[in-house]
Amino acid sequence: MDFILQGFFEAIRLLLAGDPETYSAVFATVKVSSMAMAASLVMGIPLGFALGHFTFPGKRQVRLVVDTLLSLPTVFIGLIVYAFLSRQGPLGHMGLLFTLPGVAIGQTILALPVVIALSATAVESMDADLRTNLLSLGANRHQLLLSSLWEARHGILAAAVTAYGRVMTEVGISMMVGGNIKWHTRTITTAIALETSKGMFAMGIALGLVLLLIAFGANIAVSFLRRK
Amino acid sequence: MDLYQLKNITHAYGGRPVLTIDRLNLPAGTLLGLCGPNGSGKSTLLRLLGFVERPDRGTIQFNGRPAALFDDHVRGKVALLPQSAYLLKRSVSSNVAYGLRIAKDRRDAPARIRHALSLVGLAPDQFAQRPWFALSGGEARRVALAARLVLHPRVLLLDEPTASVDAASAHLIKEAAIEAHRQWGTSLIIASHDLPWLQDFCHDTLHLFRGNVLGRGRRTLLFGPWQNQGNGALAMALTEDQHFVAANAPADLDNAVAAIDARHLSLHAAPQAVPPHKARLQGTVTTLGLETASDRITASIAVGRVLFTVYLPAEALSGGRFAPGSKAWIAYPPEEVQWY
Repeated sequence: MDFILQGFFEAIRLLLAGDPETYSAVFATVKVSSMAMAASLVMGIPLGFALGHFTFPGKRQVRLVVDTLLSLPTVFIGLIVYAFLSRQGPLGHMGLLFTLPGVAIGQTILALPVVIALSATAVESMDADLRTNLLSLGANRHQLLLSSLWEARHGILAAAVTAYGRVMTEVGISMMVGGNIKWHTRTITTAIALETSKGMFAMGIALGLVLLLIAFGANIAVSFLRRK
Repeated sequence: MDLYQLKNITHAYGGRPVLTIDRLNLPAGTLLGLCGPNGSGKSTLLRLLGFVERPDRGTIQFNGRPAALFDDHVRGKVALLPQSAYLLKRSVSSNVAYGLRIAKDRRDAPARIRHALSLVGLAPDQFAQRPWFALSGGEARRVALAARLVLHPRVLLLDEPTASVDAASAHLIKEAAIEAHRQWGTSLIIASHDLPWLQDFCHDTLHLFRGNVLGRGRRTLLFGPWQNQGNGALAMALTEDQHFVAANAPADLDNAVAAIDARHLSLHAAPQAVPPHKARLQGTVTTLGLETASDRITASIAVGRVLFTVYLPAEALSGGRFAPGSKAWIAYPPEEVQWY
């Protein structure tokens, strides 16, 4: 048990001392997850809204596919993205393998079904009287869509937080597509895996704490936004 | 010019027809009540008149022009307050301001919002900044009404506006609706089970049953079951020893609905006073009222569970013959009963 406690105190020391290796992993994680979240929200919210709001032939089948993609294993996504970005792959010429944008592509694929499925659920569960209310107050088509989206904001925010949690904590994509290159593509989770395999628990626990702190900050921001 | 003209309207939900109207004209500035039992099509008619739904078939003209959902000449001019009024997840003042904001109408917006809140009995200083979740059911309904009143609509459609709210909220909602009519000439079309209020307050009442219009005005509807009396007459039991008798029986007895207009009913203090060629029923006077639209005195007479409305000449009230609680005799000609 002592080594866990020692690891905890070492973690605080590393963070307070501004250890460059620790902060390199933190910045890489924040950067790559921000890119992935931006892309998945830009694509996922409109798609999720459309899936929840409109009725069209094949809607149930599309929903089934999206729900299935919620269970995509990160190593499988890592494998597929690796195959596409490697030199002999169709996107090999872009030189994205072992880069943070490459990892972000994989994480976007991971987050997108979460954003789509949970946004669609949020929109579907909106009160049926919302549409009547907006129309009876004079909303046109455009205003009807935008106001409905705004009314579903709490559910969509929850979708974003859930997706962010998935992206921040994944290892498979970052390891396979990023390659865990020190000072370059090493993220918090890949660093924890490496440090633990070397027996460097302090570093691992420090990085784990940082991950929790980031999640805590994100949730504080969300709870503030929920009151708006 | 008529405000609304409906032609050959049919509307169905899930393949089940819920409204059929061949022709219906509603004048501008009207106070119209819609009455009928649950499932009679009142809410559907209000949704079509409010242009929040398109009829499956038929046309609706508003102000002489064909109109439908999203048309510019109806948006913001026709406001529907549905039975379960929904508030946006915003503050009270943002809810009330929504219609003005989307119409880009910023003229005196703060003053108009305060005025609309005052009309529904909500103190602006106390309620304007409250979030949507910090309101009681009655307050939420009044905020929803204020969000419509702030638009100064030409038509305000109210679907059961006083259902599920306390007496004080119901009174404030009714007063606010009357004030809208008085201040801006807003036409009011109100669906309610509060028949005495509708009949006292409205210029006209429209009776709906199973998606069909069963006439207008003060009338009593009788839904059966009917017993064949022979000679083309039918009877419906109202009490153990009294039957409502009607002539000119229709072919389909099971679905027959009879209507008798108030102008064909007369009230008498004793059975000897009833003319011999008329049918008579003994009942109890429940309320005396004044039809505000026509200044005529009305009396509601309960016979069993059926409530008949009768017009009374002013002199009939002298001597206290027809005070609430007193027994009275209704007389009517059976041949004036209409069948649907």
